[in-house]
Amino acid sequence: MGEFAAVSQEEFSRLCDFLYRRTGMVFTEAKRYYVERRVNDRMGATGAGSFASYFARLRSDIDGEVEQFINAFTVNETYFYREDHQLRCLTADLLARRTAAKRRSEAVRIWSVPCSTGEEPYSIAMWMLENWAQVDAWDVEIVGSDIDTQVLETARQGYYGRRALMRLTPELIGKYFEPAGDERWRILQDLRDSVRFSSANVMEAAETSPHGRFDVIFCRNMLIYFDDASRRLAAENLYESLLPGGYICLGHTESMSRISPLFEVCRYPDAIVYQRPAERARG
Amino acid sequence: MPLIRKPADLATPPPAPDLEAAKAALRSPDVDMRWRAARALSAFPEAAGALGEASAAEPNARVREAMFTSLALIGTAECTAVLVLHLRSDDAERRTGAMDSLRTLPRALGATLPGLLRDKDPDVRLLACDLVREMPSAEATVLLTAVLDRDPEINVCAAAVDVLAEVGAPAALPALHRCAERFADPFLSFAIKIACDRLGEQALFRG
Amino acid sequence: MAERTPRRILIIDDAGLVRRYYREALERCGYAVDEALNGLEALEKLLAEPADLLIVDVNMPRMDGLTFLRTLRRREGAIAAIPAVVVSTEAGPQDFDAARSAGANFYMVKPVPQDVLIEYVALLCGPAA
Repeated sequence: MGEFAAVSQEEFSRLCDFLYRRTGMVFTEAKRYYVERRVNDRMGATGAGSFASYFARLRSDIDGEVEQFINAFTVNETYFYREDHQLRCLTADLLARRTAAKRRSEAVRIWSVPCSTGEEPYSIAMWMLENWAQVDAWDVEIVGSDIDTQVLETARQGYYGRRALMRLTPELIGKYFEPAGDERWRILQDLRDSVRFSSANVMEAAETSPHGRFDVIFCRNMLIYFDDASRRLAAENLYESLLPGGYICLGHTESMSRISPLFEVCRYPDAIVYQRPAERARG
Repeated sequence: MPLIRKPADLATPPPAPDLEAAKAALRSPDVDMRWRAARALSAFPEAAGALGEASAAEPNARVREAMFTSLALIGTAECTAVLVLHLRSDDAERRTGAMDSLRTLPRALGATLPGLLRDKDPDVRLLACDLVREMPSAEATVLLTAVLDRDPEINVCAAAVDVLAEVGAPAALPALHRCAERFADPFLSFAIKIACDRLGEQALFRG
Repeated sequence: MAERTPRRILIIDDAGLVRRYYREALERCGYAVDEALNGLEALEKLLAEPADLLIVDVNMPRMDGLTFLRTLRRREGAIAAIPAVVVSTEAGPQDFDAARSAGANFYMVKPVPQDVLIEYVALLCGPAA
């Protein structure tokens, strides 16, 4: 086992400045030990002989090194009711604003992209059934999209293990899932039928625009991994996929300040979200 | 439990954009039409000139952003030239939009940067320093040490120091010291000291 | 607006070394300091926690300082009225006017030495506590 290479004060600052500029994540002195440990892990994994050569690699994002580095500091696994403060914001604030100007015949449309193996769109459905008093008064369309067609198929099937359900109470599990073997549950047919899964690459307008426009988009923990050019294009496609006045929610370590000036920032008690500006009067 | 309605099928994809129609739509009085036209033109390298002209006159920030994005996606030398023109604007928002696009084009910019770093306008030189941030360390060091040695404007040198502190190589150290002596400014001295610490410190080697 | 103690200053500048230079001086004097590297981040920070004074650079990625000020001044609530010093490389009357039209209260030309910054800040929002 090699020795643990200490990172000097200024090397630490240099790294933190770079990551802050690039991702918006702030690493303070309090996190210094974890950052050093991560640097050492990654130096070992990439064969970098010095901090300088590792930093050069990180800066050029060779082989997606930025993603590799920050993975240790973000929660990567998906599970039901992840970042539920945004779900709370949805039912406490966002939906009321979206429905205020809608006719009853108009659907409330919500997009989860990337939806991965379905935990997020199914969570949205469950949460709304549990927490939105008006859920029966409106047609609700929930769409889950991902670039990976295999995870979409998994999502359609709806089987989950214990870890995916770890944030759910036994009551919720009993209400919305049926046992499906050892440490396995399947989300009920009603819910499987209420989410449409479709493939989409947010970088391609030809793939996003057929999904129509949404009231709320959940786009969490994806854009942070894109380079600047890709983020910009994805942001424009997502803007196009929002109704005027519609909202987009990013992951909790993400910020539009590193992505695009197209959206306005809105603060609600449970979350900071971004909004496509409402239509101005013509003229 | 009540059922949530199953969503409708996907709409058919929109038809492929038509170059001439999109170019004409750049002048539409409707903001959304101009937005869509600007985005559609990213598929047509021959539209660079039209995008350039339209972006100079476009009053809506969102549409202008979309034009800049398309120019960056096309990414030819003509496109970088168009974007560089906007760096000279008096409008900060326009300069920022052009910079954001130019930052995504380090390779295309490569040939233009040395000239921009010697531009007669110090504001352009200052912005050009920030574009060097996207270059590999060795190249960035060569470009920015030249700035440190010759630029008469303190703020241009300060910008060069800030970028070197992130991307510079130890070869920048002599020029950093010379620059500190040239200006003897408290902020610049502060910044140069930090840059030197960052570029001069040697990490302990593993194993 | 309720006065907070210690006074809180938000530094908005895309250059990390500039932010650090101001931060060190302000913290030595007891001010609470936060940072943002562009106008969008500044808006987010202010929505989470308002400040007593803003120090605003002009050229920044995504949202420049003047667009930030215009956007801030249009918002509802007390944050729209937070005093702002624009710190710019430009020294011409048209730049001064553009900053004022955008909603700047004061203007300084870079580079600003720490002692000058502290004098200005103390004048504009009082001592730290």
